[in-house]
Amino acid sequence: MKGTSPGMTLFVEGRSFVHALNPLTKLAWVLLAGALAYGAPVPSSAPEARWLVCAALLALDGCLLLSAGAAPRAWGLVWRIMFPLALFMLPIHGLLYPGNRTVVWAWQGITVHREGLVFAMTVLLQVAVLLSASLLFVLCTHPADMVTAVTRAGGAPKLAFLVGSPLLMLPAMRARAATVQAAQRARGLDSEGNIFKRAKGLVPLVKPFLLGAIMDIEQRAVALEVRGFNSRSPRTAWREVADSPAQRWARRAMLAVCLGVAVYWIVVKTGLGA
Amino acid sequence: MSISEQLKKEFSTFTFVLIAVAIVLNIVVGQLVSLLKLPVFLDSIGTVLVGVLAGPWAGGLAGLLTNLIWGVISSPVAAAFAPVAMVIGIAAGLCARYGLFRTWWLAIVSGVIITVFNSIVAVPIRLYMFGGITGSGADFFTAYMLALGNDLFGSVVVMVFTSNLLDKVVTALIAWGVVKAMPGRTTARFPGVRSVS
Repeated sequence: MKGTSPGMTLFVEGRSFVHALNPLTKLAWVLLAGALAYGAPVPSSAPEARWLVCAALLALDGCLLLSAGAAPRAWGLVWRIMFPLALFMLPIHGLLYPGNRTVVWAWQGITVHREGLVFAMTVLLQVAVLLSASLLFVLCTHPADMVTAVTRAGGAPKLAFLVGSPLLMLPAMRARAATVQAAQRARGLDSEGNIFKRAKGLVPLVKPFLLGAIMDIEQRAVALEVRGFNSRSPRTAWREVADSPAQRWARRAMLAVCLGVAVYWIVVKTGLGA
Repeated sequence: MSISEQLKKEFSTFTFVLIAVAIVLNIVVGQLVSLLKLPVFLDSIGTVLVGVLAGPWAGGLAGLLTNLIWGVISSPVAAAFAPVAMVIGIAAGLCARYGLFRTWWLAIVSGVIITVFNSIVAVPIRLYMFGGITGSGADFFTAYMLALGNDLFGSVVVMVFTSNLLDKVVTALIAWGVVKAMPGRTTARFPGVRSVS
């Protein structure tokens, strides 16, 4: 993984507390934040109470991102994802949400309802929490650390290969796709005509690329087997990933809370408790 | 055959490399196809290929990892749909196992079956995680269905199914074409091929 340029992924270089955490601890936090944002018990009479839960989680994620120096990058990404979502969700649910009763604003037969807006806002906040928590993981975890953590956790070096090798292959494949594109265009591929003419280009464009990539597999597989891919002896890692008893306990606690939320949610939703 | 035997057969070194390559294909083919400005993304072509060549478990793993890696390199939202990608691979693998990738018209049937499984998993995620709206052009269709007086669930079901049908049918057809075009020397390496040819 040494050759991976950090520019390939969203990773932001840094030496902060968050960067130093074990990747699995950060993943557990993503899970916990999601579980709390979507499933934390709030009174059904006040759906806005969920907003408070989400706001608290967002604030916490924001502080952690700031301390890690990844806040500007995260802010940009959150906007790029949340803005189109909000742009569609607020009007669509405000106007058309099936549970709409209370009119907030009406003009020329267009009526915006309170229920739809509350629903849309709740979903937007939940997605924002999940997004900021996953950005905390994605922006502050070096891809190589992630791969090493996967290897260590499951004792599954093959799984680590599946996570790591696509990241290494990606730039070369992108270049090859661009070459195929340019070559077929030079041969007169119709990319401007009507939809049927363009659809005709699909197969000559995609098939040589797919076949070429699959033909490479044999070489790669042989290379791996020669290098002991199937060896059962334990691997040593060039890169060490920090971990501590405290983090291990924190992970267990976070997973336990997730489980608790899930059980509570199932009980409430299915009415088993009533 | 027991499940563990089946897994061992499915996951040779060849399969592992195939999965790694397929993950990259899923991510890159979109770039290739964007030139044609067609209403298909083909972002599960690699997953379907793995399902056909190496079986349902390998296909599922390829799909799952594609979206997780996607989440790391470009948009974390993609990771939320990882279970959907996984089901696409499993469905493709099962279709192939039962001989549904033998001819081009059976491949179309497979595409429809994959879309059904895809929808079963995608709808709850869209509904509970994103409130039915994901900020893409397809949302206009959901809005239209809502305006016609449908409930949110129904609108999302119809939207997910129709917006995926063409894509998955084309994906299955291309996967079929690629497998047919592969030389026997290569296909013989994969466990799933006997049920295809």
